Amino acid sequence: MTTLGKTVAAFPRISLWRTIVTLIFAAGIYSMYARFALGFNVATNLTDPQPWGLWVGLGTLCGVGLSAGGFAIAASVYLLGLERYRPILRTSVLISFLGYCTVCVGMMYELGLPWRIWHPIVMWNRHSVLFEVSWCVMLYTTVLALEFSPALLERLPWVRLRETYLRWHHSILIALVLAGTLLSSMHQSFLGGLYLITKGRLYPLWYSPYLTTMFYLSAIPAGLAVTIIAIYLCVRSLNAQVDMSILSDVSRVIAPLLAMYGIFRIVDLINRDALQYLLLWREETGLFWLEIALLVVAPLILLNIEKVRNNPMYLYWTSAVIVAGFMTNRLNVSITSLQASSAMYYVPKWTEFAATLATIVAAVVAFRYAVIYLDILPKNEPRQRWVVPSVPSEA
Amino acid sequence: MATTKAILVDITKCIGCGSCEQACKQIHGFPMETEVKLSATALTVIEQHGDRFVRRMCMHCEDPACASACLVGALKKTSFGPVTYDAAKCIGCRYCLVACPFGVPRYEWSKLAPLVKKCDMCAARQAKGQPPACVEACPVQASIVGDRDEILEEAQRRILGDSKYVKHIYGSDEVGGTSVFFISDVPFEKLGFATVSKQPMPILTANALGDGPTVILVGGALLSGLYWITQRRALVALAEAREKSIRERN
Repeated sequence: MTTLGKTVAAFPRISLWRTIVTLIFAAGIYSMYARFALGFNVATNLTDPQPWGLWVGLGTLCGVGLSAGGFAIAASVYLLGLERYRPILRTSVLISFLGYCTVCVGMMYELGLPWRIWHPIVMWNRHSVLFEVSWCVMLYTTVLALEFSPALLERLPWVRLRETYLRWHHSILIALVLAGTLLSSMHQSFLGGLYLITKGRLYPLWYSPYLTTMFYLSAIPAGLAVTIIAIYLCVRSLNAQVDMSILSDVSRVIAPLLAMYGIFRIVDLINRDALQYLLLWREETGLFWLEIALLVVAPLILLNIEKVRNNPMYLYWTSAVIVAGFMTNRLNVSITSLQASSAMYYVPKWTEFAATLATIVAAVVAFRYAVIYLDILPKNEPRQRWVVPSVPSEA
Repeated sequence: MATTKAILVDITKCIGCGSCEQACKQIHGFPMETEVKLSATALTVIEQHGDRFVRRMCMHCEDPACASACLVGALKKTSFGPVTYDAAKCIGCRYCLVACPFGVPRYEWSKLAPLVKKCDMCAARQAKGQPPACVEACPVQASIVGDRDEILEEAQRRILGDSKYVKHIYGSDEVGGTSVFFISDVPFEKLGFATVSKQPMPILTANALGDGPTVILVGGALLSGLYWITQRRALVALAEAREKSIRERN
């Protein structure tokens, strides 16, 4: 068994990062206590005019959106036959899986009555966008768990069981990827659809009947940017061996997607006669331009420079800009664009930040150990056993 | 939907005594302090705008945004008018608070098992043939209850019969019509009434949801087709490689 970590120290060294992580976890544990033992009033700054805050905006909208890389890469490799991306397939599926796990954990904070989280399974309202979202997230998290399962189950010491499982997994894999792609496409866009019902209250720079399409179009490049970030960090700090030119190729896909998204946003503003809002002296205008600068303009300029496209570190920072722009967009839609109409200036309490941050950090730590102990990324000789070839092997 | 109940609030008649607030609090067992804004313990309040008193409460929309938003169907438009809330179903997602165009539902933020609170037009009382507590308590009949058609006719009669009234019944066509109507001698926008579209809010999401099956069918077919092509190309490439190696061996 090849593992990427060379040495595992008996006692954890006290390093800067470990200290930071410990502090975040400590704050997270207090936030958990505040939320579940003391209630929303203590743990959050949520109010009736601002019923959804950071946990929805950052935890759910950004969490789901930034986890879109898994379905995009899986569909590229299995359905489109783009074998080029196979080396980063497992990483992106793992990121998505952990991303959706953080979303599900975040749900427990977010829901007032989290012990009833199963209610949508038996109590249906098919007119509700949130109902569709909850089912898609539920099903897609299951799909991701199944897609990722071989990485764990191939470590089983029982040969018969292991081989039986892997054979079964092979037989359903294409169906899983197909279902995953459709489920992702549905709920990535329906997350935007949640806000369709706020017509008249969501600020005109963001309210559009095409919020669904916009959420979908922006999630894919943002998810791919997260994949680039993760791969780069694995290579830098976990000694993974990845052909970095794959990242350049991913960035060549990101650029046209972002351009398409930018054009879509402009055409939508023109269509809705909303161009006059672009220059109003208001907080929303600044936030809109910040979002467009980070999510569309800056990345497109950067990715147009050959030196950036071919340098992993530059790509890493460009991806970070894309992710920041994406988060600005989601927080704008979910929080800032509603503040004017609700006459409520919401600033999240520190416990809201801490709870979300601790959940994300937990996912990052889990990712790190998965990469170290499981076959997520190849070390020297890539082991192809877990790879299910698209080409039937009877020949 | 033979007899849908509705409430008419005549702002010209309201004296701001607060009897409706008190009656509402009493029937729900809430603490009796007067509140100025709707809250989890004040499902109707009197707001003062200039020298007019405006009662705020759930509008009981004909096609409620909250009911379409609620993922577990805890909020329902009943056949006799009230929009009711089933606390046993609610999971506390608060999408109803986000969805309501009038900003009515309230949440029990201070509780550990918080529920949504909003007026249910005393659905239980009405089922027994009693009027809502607030209407019953009104000493000057500023609020009246009755069958929706008759109540609308009465409102029509009043605004046409007296020139002081604004010639609009608020709620008659707002968000596709509601079951609580307001008539006034002061323009509604000056009294803090929300300017909402005439279209029922659930249409906005229904259009998007309607695309779901199309996405599944078209997307599914497209992806399956692409997979078939991928598969086919791989097979052809394999066969060609095999032929080539056979030729080379000969």
